Amino acid sequence: MIAGAGIAMGSLASCATVPVYQTAISNQQVIVPVSLFEKGNIQIIQPKNLYYNIALKKENDGSYTALLLRCTHADNQLITTGNGYKCNLHGSAFDQEGLVTIGPAEKPLRKYLTEINNGQIIIHLS
Amino acid sequence: MQKIFTFALLLFSSLSVFAQQPVATTSEDSLSRNLSKTSTTIGGYGNAFYQRNSNLGTSRADLERGVLFFGHKFNNQISFFSELEIEDAKVAGGQNGGEVSFEQAYLKFNLNANQYIVAGLFIPRIGILNENHLPNTFNGNERNYVETFIIPATWRELGVSLYGSLSSVPVNYTLGIMNGLSSAAFTHGTGLIDGRFEGRNASANNLAVTASLQYYAGDFKTQISGYYGGTVGVSKRKADSLGLNSGTFAAPVALGEADIQYAHNGFSAKALGTIVSIKDAQSINHAYASNTPETEYGAYAEVGYDLLYALIHHRHPQQLILFVRDEKLDMNSKIPSNGIYDGTLDQNYVVTGFTYLPIRNVALKADVRIVHTGAQNPNLIINPNPATIPYQQNNNLVNLGMAFSF
Repeated sequence: MIAGAGIAMGSLASCATVPVYQTAISNQQVIVPVSLFEKGNIQIIQPKNLYYNIALKKENDGSYTALLLRCTHADNQLITTGNGYKCNLHGSAFDQEGLVTIGPAEKPLRKYLTEINNGQIIIHLS
Repeated sequence: MQKIFTFALLLFSSLSVFAQQPVATTSEDSLSRNLSKTSTTIGGYGNAFYQRNSNLGTSRADLERGVLFFGHKFNNQISFFSELEIEDAKVAGGQNGGEVSFEQAYLKFNLNANQYIVAGLFIPRIGILNENHLPNTFNGNERNYVETFIIPATWRELGVSLYGSLSSVPVNYTLGIMNGLSSAAFTHGTGLIDGRFEGRNASANNLAVTASLQYYAGDFKTQISGYYGGTVGVSKRKADSLGLNSGTFAAPVALGEADIQYAHNGFSAKALGTIVSIKDAQSINHAYASNTPETEYGAYAEVGYDLLYALIHHRHPQQLILFVRDEKLDMNSKIPSNGIYDGTLDQNYVVTGFTYLPIRNVALKADVRIVHTGAQNPNLIINPNPATIPYQQNNNLVNLGMAFSF
């Protein structure tokens, strides 16, 4: 396991900031330390060379949801807004659960399986 | 021609069946097999509406726009995007009206998850409508007039632009360079519209730069954007003979814009203001007699409420939005000494109506546009047609229509 191999960024106190964690992909997996969620329930993961971010959210039941921030309309990268994610290409928007709030996208964001192992969240990309 | 049109219609209809279904072909690359496939995407949008003009006592119906998106992802780094548009449904030789054009056609190069570069015919991020112009996402059958005449959306030119987002703060930015406008083509009463090249044989002696900054906070989004570009594309020799400066940024057009949007619990609001400066308007008028103004401005504010929000669970896609928008613009708020003021270009519109979305990507619209303008300047009427009715400063336009995107 390579816990701590990534870099946490942007943990500013402002309410508008989004914490970012940069890490690598290994064996189709992204590994994120659980400790990142001590101060909030959403973390943006930037896997090296993926070209799309992943939004990792801690749910109320303690599980984690990983959303690929790739628009389901034309594969454009999504930007993080104050209450979800938006595609600047055609204007599609998604809420924090990955559901479409504004078209033209019709499908929700892709979710990846996650599991917790030894204080680490493992996101399975395959 | 009729066969071609019929074929295009059939093609348009059949393509919609395959809408938004990426056609995976080959796969490549290393890290994540499921993310690295090449794919081709197809989408589109369109709108049609009926309009009743109270003053003229006339009505018209028009398929205003039909647009097809084609995109292709070559690999994780390089993609192609395009929008091919037919305006007014039909283009026929020898007849006025209608237009076939690329609204966008560019290559996109991903630098990383937060930055990419586009190169080709692209729409810069100026205003709200320019970048997000799908007709089911705005209220009213017609686009707002401020972002039609002051910001000439959809404003696309050839060039290169960087798009980026900051990692930890919801700030997005763009910085681009593209061909400039042509002051030789400016037409009285249409703002910057006729000066655009839109990718067709653009003069590139003159260039323009554009930039924007967006910030998201909670349910708010704010943006500022700007444009600065030369308008003299002719040779130095010709520019000298016309009495115009020459060079990359000669006879510049400067445009600034700021807007703010808010949406929460079925309520939405937005406001935008923009101003255009053409400081060499006097020289342009001397060269081309186009009555070009020195300053134009426009602003609008709109509020809307989804009447179904409280009645139906808010995640239900149905919406019935009641909205009202107030628009104010003046295409000749300041004119040079050789210009002639035209009061009809000082315009105010109040637009109100309903937008019903049975699903998010389909809108049925009903609205009324209440028009008020300044008085006509008789000095601009050179050969009055005896059959022409006197200019009326007040008018109402009633619009009924549909819009879609996929």
